Amino acid sequence: MSELEVVGQVVGGNEGSILIREKNERRLELGDLLIVDDIDNQVILLQVFNLHYGSQIPQVNRELASGIQLEGYGTGITDFIDPALRNYTLAEVKAIAKINNKEAKIPKTLPAFFSKVRYANNNDLAFLTKQEKAPIYIGNVRSGSKVLEDSPVYLNGNDFFTHHVLVPAATGRGKSNLIKVMLWSILEQGKFGVLVLDSHDEYYGRNNLGLKDHHNAKNNMTYYSIDAIPGSPTLVISLKKIAPYHFDGILNFTPAQKEATELYYREFGENWIENILLGEIVKSPDGHPVDSIKLVTIQVLQRKIGNILNISVKNNQLIFNDHVFSRDSGGSTVKNIVSYLEDGKIIIIDTSRLGTDTELLIGSIIANELFYIYSSSKSKGELESKIPASIIIEEAPRVLAAEKIEQGDNIYSKIAREGRKFKVGLIAITQLTSIIPRMLLTNMNTKIILGNEMSTERRAIIESAAQDLSTEDRTIASLDKGEAIISSIFSKFAIPIYTPLFEEFIKKKKNVNQDHNLIL
Amino acid sequence: MNRFAHLSDIHLGSTRDPTLREMEINAFEKAMNKCIDKEVDFIIISGDFFDTPIPDLEVVNRTLIKLKEINEKGIPIYIIYGSHDYAQGSTSIIDLLCTIRLMTKIDKDAYLEDGNLKLTPFIEPKTGIKIVGFSARKQGLEKQYYERIEREYLENLEGLKIFMFHSSLDEFKPQSLSKADSIPISLFPKEFDYYAGGHVHNKGEYNLPGYSKVTFPGPLFTSKGRDLEDTAKGVKRGFFIINFDTKIVSTEFIEITNFQGIYSEHDVSGKTPNEVQQEIKTEVETLEVNDKVIVLKIKGELSGGKVSDINFSELEKLLITKKARYIHLNRNSLVSKENSNIQILATMPNEIEEKLFEENINNVKSKTAILQGKQGIVTSKELLRILEQEKKAGETNDTYENRVIGSGKKSLLLE
Repeated sequence: MSELEVVGQVVGGNEGSILIREKNERRLELGDLLIVDDIDNQVILLQVFNLHYGSQIPQVNRELASGIQLEGYGTGITDFIDPALRNYTLAEVKAIAKINNKEAKIPKTLPAFFSKVRYANNNDLAFLTKQEKAPIYIGNVRSGSKVLEDSPVYLNGNDFFTHHVLVPAATGRGKSNLIKVMLWSILEQGKFGVLVLDSHDEYYGRNNLGLKDHHNAKNNMTYYSIDAIPGSPTLVISLKKIAPYHFDGILNFTPAQKEATELYYREFGENWIENILLGEIVKSPDGHPVDSIKLVTIQVLQRKIGNILNISVKNNQLIFNDHVFSRDSGGSTVKNIVSYLEDGKIIIIDTSRLGTDTELLIGSIIANELFYIYSSSKSKGELESKIPASIIIEEAPRVLAAEKIEQGDNIYSKIAREGRKFKVGLIAITQLTSIIPRMLLTNMNTKIILGNEMSTERRAIIESAAQDLSTEDRTIASLDKGEAIISSIFSKFAIPIYTPLFEEFIKKKKNVNQDHNLIL
Repeated sequence: MNRFAHLSDIHLGSTRDPTLREMEINAFEKAMNKCIDKEVDFIIISGDFFDTPIPDLEVVNRTLIKLKEINEKGIPIYIIYGSHDYAQGSTSIIDLLCTIRLMTKIDKDAYLEDGNLKLTPFIEPKTGIKIVGFSARKQGLEKQYYERIEREYLENLEGLKIFMFHSSLDEFKPQSLSKADSIPISLFPKEFDYYAGGHVHNKGEYNLPGYSKVTFPGPLFTSKGRDLEDTAKGVKRGFFIINFDTKIVSTEFIEITNFQGIYSEHDVSGKTPNEVQQEIKTEVETLEVNDKVIVLKIKGELSGGKVSDINFSELEKLLITKKARYIHLNRNSLVSKENSNIQILATMPNEIEEKLFEENINNVKSKTAILQGKQGIVTSKELLRILEQEKKAGETNDTYENRVIGSGKKSLLLE
């Protein structure tokens, strides 16, 4: 290490908080990644988590010197001998990895006393940027606010997708941008099925740059919308493909209402919804109406189901107001979507024109089918060859909040608990981590933590993280747009990253689609 | 009030069985007679008029007699190629019929300009209605053509307009056909008054925002697999007549009854061949089968013995003795214990072919793109179609061989 590289020196502390004296004017930052070239030819990676002042001059003297300067009695501070020697910054750092031959281990020793410290460079961090078998690009290594442009961070897609991901973020901290960059990387490979319920229609890029601009988009992505663009399928789902359990966790049915839906399903099979909406009566074998279903129950079901499906009844005819659900069309939509996911495609469903419950219902129908196919493949011994599939769910507490789960399990919570066994994962995005049960949070083995100023939320994130992030509280609060920390059971330490702005990122990557020449 | 008839998927010449062949041509003749009776202004056929691009001449002859009659009545026929009519790089029987002006191919004037596909509207002389259509293309390439259609011009066309197509559509496929090739309806120009579809063998009328009256009449007659079973079960076959003035007023389905059918399904799981034989024999003896088409479906896993231990020919003989008109025996899903791991999860010949190709395509060791993956399956199916072609009457061995080899080379892009 040349003297020019030195930014500080180890001067004390303990295993969890090593004290480094900052070299004058080096201006260390919170989150900076530093290196000690240790005595055993290994390097120790350090990260700054706190900064404070150090001084050899008693506090009263410093205050006096300041007064002299402020009140115009003299130069004050410069009157001291060697002020830079006597006043300095102390950085509290923690040792996060010991690196040997591009392999990182958890450090179990302290760096040698008075070790000199320098900034980490691309070579030091090469172990982070190694190409995984199915690499998912997520951003670049960030040291404080400095982005290491030559140190891209890749996650192993196979681990990442099947072990669930939590993306806790406050509004405006770049979660959509992060997801877009991640999906771009997935499109490159076609090795992972990802279902995206896009409530803001922001991923495909209908009117601006988006995932459609990827050169593999035609082959590896399908975009569904009720207002389909030319070449994309229209989002339409047959009423006949909806079963009572698809409403679990989405519509709050009383026990009587739930029983009624099941009786209708048993009596009318795939036409059960139509018969509820049209007020058909379930009859017992002797031809009389079933006593257990009260008229008021039917009326409430008509209202609840009619609202979520946006279907009204006029002259005893069903009126499909937004055409997402249909009596005659959309018979194979769900099957096709699941089949595309099995083929490693990204499926974007534009739900921007739908109500939030309708969006969740569509997700529930697809997720149930996906989970069924994958869990069945395990019992048939075919899971090994299946492509991992994942569902991106925004505002995850809508289905994963403790109060929702208390009402009964739903497909999303089921996937969060059991999906890993069947190669089905969730990517849950939320502003409110604290209302998701701890057990589910723990199951989400990778957390991509974006900035969050709410201390309750930070606490929930930190308590469920794969690494000890207890010293990162203020760092998380101060993460700027695009900055994040990845905490995962698949990495030895929490990795600070910066995700580039999607539009800037793809300008470098854009590849024009090649069409075949056609002849008539 | 004007009216036109919309037919599709007639598949003339789809069967070699003389009984079915006669029923098939009769169904077409009946449909044409109905068109004459109903005084339609014109007829549109949304593809698959014949079952092959070059059908048997006897079938062609019978068809020509009826087409000539229709022509003499002053009823024009407008057509597009279906997937069965289409022969890449060679002339189809449809072209001959168009040459002698018994039909008009609606997309004959389509052209590519600056990468865009321009479909010229055909203005129907009698009614002024505008007809636009696009023929079936080589499987897998169809979407690329549709993507290039200049839609805006067509959407802005004034007056009543019909769009003819021969494709399965993503939005209207039943779940059972979810794996079948299809395209999204968003590739079609919007705001046409009637979308005259073909290729799909289930009758259906659909609506989506921007696309009203998307209609598939389905076939007039069915001679194979699940289609035949469905007809025997009572699924109605026929075509549509559409009444219109300045807009579409009403549509009417005209049923063409081909035969009376009996569908009998037996799940014989856990039974011995002898028990199966007795069970079906007992049923057959009680059935009134006179002049009916009988479809017997036997499925399940036998408790012992082999499938061939069941004397099917005895059952067939019994049905013939009772004067059944035609017998269709489906035992695709019947397995013995030994081969129960072999599952045929399809009921139509083309589905079975597709599944077999799907299972085996990875064994093809070739770096040529058209022989790999999904494209490899498409190529395999196309080659199979080419190899299925029979030698025509009067065709020499050399001519036949050259014709098949030539088609094969084109399919493999060697020419």
